[in-house]
Amino acid sequence: MAELPLPVVDGLKLDPAMRALLRPGELLKERDGTLRRLPRYFYEVPSWEVALETRLAPNFQVWEFLNVDVREHERLRSDWPRYLPCAVSLLAAFLELLRREVGTYVHISANGGYRSPAHRLSTHASAHCWGTAANIYRVGDDWLDGERTVRRYTRVVEKLMTGVYVRPWGKGVGEADDHLHLDLGWTVVIPHGTTGEPERRGDDVTDPVPDEVRDVNDTADVGA
Amino acid sequence: MTTATKDALQERVARIGEEAGAAKVACAYYDYETRESWDYRGDEWFHAASTIKVPILVGVFGTVHREGYTLDSRVHVRNRFISTADGEPFRVESGRDANSVVHQHLGKTMKVGELAYHMIVTSSNLATNLLVDLVGIEEIRAGLNELGVTGVDVHRGVEDERAWERGINNLVTARGLVSVLRPIEEGTAFSVELSAKMLEILHDQEFRSGIPAGVPDSAKVANKTGEISTVAHDAAIVYLAGRKPYAVVVLTQWERSVTGGRSDTIARVSRAVYEHLSARDRA
Repeated sequence: MAELPLPVVDGLKLDPAMRALLRPGELLKERDGTLRRLPRYFYEVPSWEVALETRLAPNFQVWEFLNVDVREHERLRSDWPRYLPCAVSLLAAFLELLRREVGTYVHISANGGYRSPAHRLSTHASAHCWGTAANIYRVGDDWLDGERTVRRYTRVVEKLMTGVYVRPWGKGVGEADDHLHLDLGWTVVIPHGTTGEPERRGDDVTDPVPDEVRDVNDTADVGA
Repeated sequence: MTTATKDALQERVARIGEEAGAAKVACAYYDYETRESWDYRGDEWFHAASTIKVPILVGVFGTVHREGYTLDSRVHVRNRFISTADGEPFRVESGRDANSVVHQHLGKTMKVGELAYHMIVTSSNLATNLLVDLVGIEEIRAGLNELGVTGVDVHRGVEDERAWERGINNLVTARGLVSVLRPIEEGTAFSVELSAKMLEILHDQEFRSGIPAGVPDSAKVANKTGEISTVAHDAAIVYLAGRKPYAVVVLTQWERSVTGGRSDTIARVSRAVYEHLSARDRA
């Protein structure tokens, strides 16, 4: 197995406050009410320096997926270590493909990589909470804020991989008009060597995967 | 101050407006030397233009005081805002914005303090809307209410054309803007430190052709201008050697066809106020 870029942690073994923010293995609703299960395994990023130095792909570093603003929960933007769902490696690999196809820099916007369920923009299940989505605001010298440019790069993205989702151009709900949103869906990565599931739900009380669905902003017990 | 002196200043300000062809002029001041207030049409409402950025600055700092954010909190610079009129998105045109620095950070982040600085010093519309979007109109109003500000009606950010077409605008009176400036000067805008920080930003103002142009070069002026097609304003705190400062606001309204002489009119009113207070100092 190829070496992992960072230590992998089981989200269920994190401290309760962090678990309440990341909600490993919990269910989250899409806009239409469809339930999706959040990722359980995360890369642990010990510091900003490591985030700057560590590559997930030849042209994509960890910090690019952790770059959030004040809308993210304070602990997830001020404290270390921070966590990225392991599927972010797949996203980085896809972005590397895109980078090679276009032959220039591909820029992920702030708040455009991983966003925790506690992020103020996480009003419903979004692939950003799975670490499988990227908002691209610039490719080389092209700003992706116009219909023509966004459509052009949408065609490039869709050509590269079947099943990749690109938000349609537009100003409405579920559309994008000032960036290109691409994602790999509700993909969860469980690296080899991680702890497994209990044989039956509830068998291992230290390792529960709760099935209740909470509101995305239900993090009041965590403190700001 | 005698009634005759007050009347003389009112007459002079009115005459300056008439000579310039202004549709309406208003002025108000508070003098810390004499602790006196004065105004001419001080309670009449005007479209605020960019002078609304001072109340927004106060509102943002109020949120900082309530620990909603810090001045170092990072904000995603994104040029997409929702119109107050119809909920549809709109953008700040980079060509119309006085500041390009904030536009250069699109996709990245800037600190709340940096955005506040650009909102005031170079009157960045993008910075303004980012802060309004972050903090929210209700929080801005709450901050102003906490300071007892009246005569300021904040409804939205800037460059919301559809809101403008429907008459949803930010409004101010001359006395209202004086009531915004006073707690900043007095160190009571939430805390001494936050007041000092706001004053420091206002002192770095790059647009100096209004009130600052009407006082001696030796004066220090912390100010904020505002201009759209139909109004031109300036709001300032003026510091002169040998006396306490005064807060002064000049609001002017114009027909669209009258495009010249606006800053000069504000400077002339500023000069009138300066000479009036100086004469009183000598008396």
